[in-house]
Amino acid sequence: MSHAIHLEHLQYRAGKHFEIPNLDLHVPSGSIYGFLGPNGSGKTTTIRLILGLLRPLSGRVTVLDLPMPDQHAQILGRVGYVPEQPHLDATLTVRELIDFQAAFYPRWDRARAEELVERFELDGEHLFGRLSKGQKAKLMILLALAQCGDLLVLDEPTDGLDPVVRRDILSALITYVSERGATIFISSHLVHELERVCDWVAVMDDGRLITEAPMEKLKQGTKRLVVMGAPAEIVNPPFRVLTRESTNGGGTGENWVVGDWEPGMTSYFEGVGASVREVIDLDLEDGFVELLRSFRKGGTGR
Amino acid sequence: MFHGIDPRSPIPLYVQIAERVRLAIATGTLGSAAPLPSVRQLAAELRINPATVIQAYKDLEAQGFVEIRHGAGTFVRELAPGRRARERSQQAGALVRKLLAEARRAGVSLPELQRALETELGAKTT
Repeated sequence: MSHAIHLEHLQYRAGKHFEIPNLDLHVPSGSIYGFLGPNGSGKTTTIRLILGLLRPLSGRVTVLDLPMPDQHAQILGRVGYVPEQPHLDATLTVRELIDFQAAFYPRWDRARAEELVERFELDGEHLFGRLSKGQKAKLMILLALAQCGDLLVLDEPTDGLDPVVRRDILSALITYVSERGATIFISSHLVHELERVCDWVAVMDDGRLITEAPMEKLKQGTKRLVVMGAPAEIVNPPFRVLTRESTNGGGTGENWVVGDWEPGMTSYFEGVGASVREVIDLDLEDGFVELLRSFRKGGTGR
Repeated sequence: MFHGIDPRSPIPLYVQIAERVRLAIATGTLGSAAPLPSVRQLAAELRINPATVIQAYKDLEAQGFVEIRHGAGTFVRELAPGRRARERSQQAGALVRKLLAEARRAGVSLPELQRALETELGAKTT
């Protein structure tokens, strides 16, 4: 499988308090890849490393099969980037900003830009500084899409926006992917939104990658179990135990949250004299929260 | 046709979409040769990954319900007589299984369920 983004043994440090000790990431070409993590977990730093805006202490960054930062000009010509904070000149109009951006990109798609101005109901004469938050976000997306990149890197593109704007932006992204087969790398903590669109998910916390998996595998493999009579020590289970605590009712009942679960694994419990009373499906948000909890307790996150 | 698709459900989205299309074919909402929405259109409308829609359509094609004509779109196939009826009864079976599972989880007994059904229908079921 070819990768649009590939990080190997990436190490980075910012001051005393933040470190990415050793990060590997594999973003398959053509995927919509959701990059999840709480605030301060290192998502934006990772994105800046991918785009060559920060330099790693060691490790390797490959984007669209080219080494970063050695080939950064070639790479950035094919990457649309929407940063967390709008970085455009507030004194320029929407029209001027579009023309300005177009001049940098040989593949600029004038027709798409026009279509998106219409679709997003942007007024070309308005000053950027006077636009609403939602209009600013739409313009940023427009600029990223019209440059016709093979990869879009979006840093929390819809956080803090109203549902109507979020919908418009997501639809525009999806239309773009259907037409161009581009890869989208999207960081967010709006888990439900990612659950709809992403086919790959990574979860980060405290500068470390907790998991990286296809969406379906992560969702199908994370379950809550109600277990009766489990021994205190369990040896080599075929799944990962994320959390384990006794139920409120007392007795021998316990709530477990497990990863890498597959149907049929209940037989493991019978083998150790316990039984599984219930296997409960978790959605992505529940799974995300449990993964983080387990990771922070020092459990076997990976 | 795709109202109430649930991304949070443990049932993968492509399975949910394929189910909806099968139901529409079974009930005749989608007749022979009727076009399915384009991948682009449906993905944008549901705000889901285009690959998910493609997967659903491919599964439907493998099951013989639709035909994917490259460049033209996806169309409902002419079904053998009885296939729609069989599919409808399968759908009915699936609905009942879902109902029974819900009832079991909520602790509703079978006679209670039957009485509720009769009340809803305004008729005896036996």
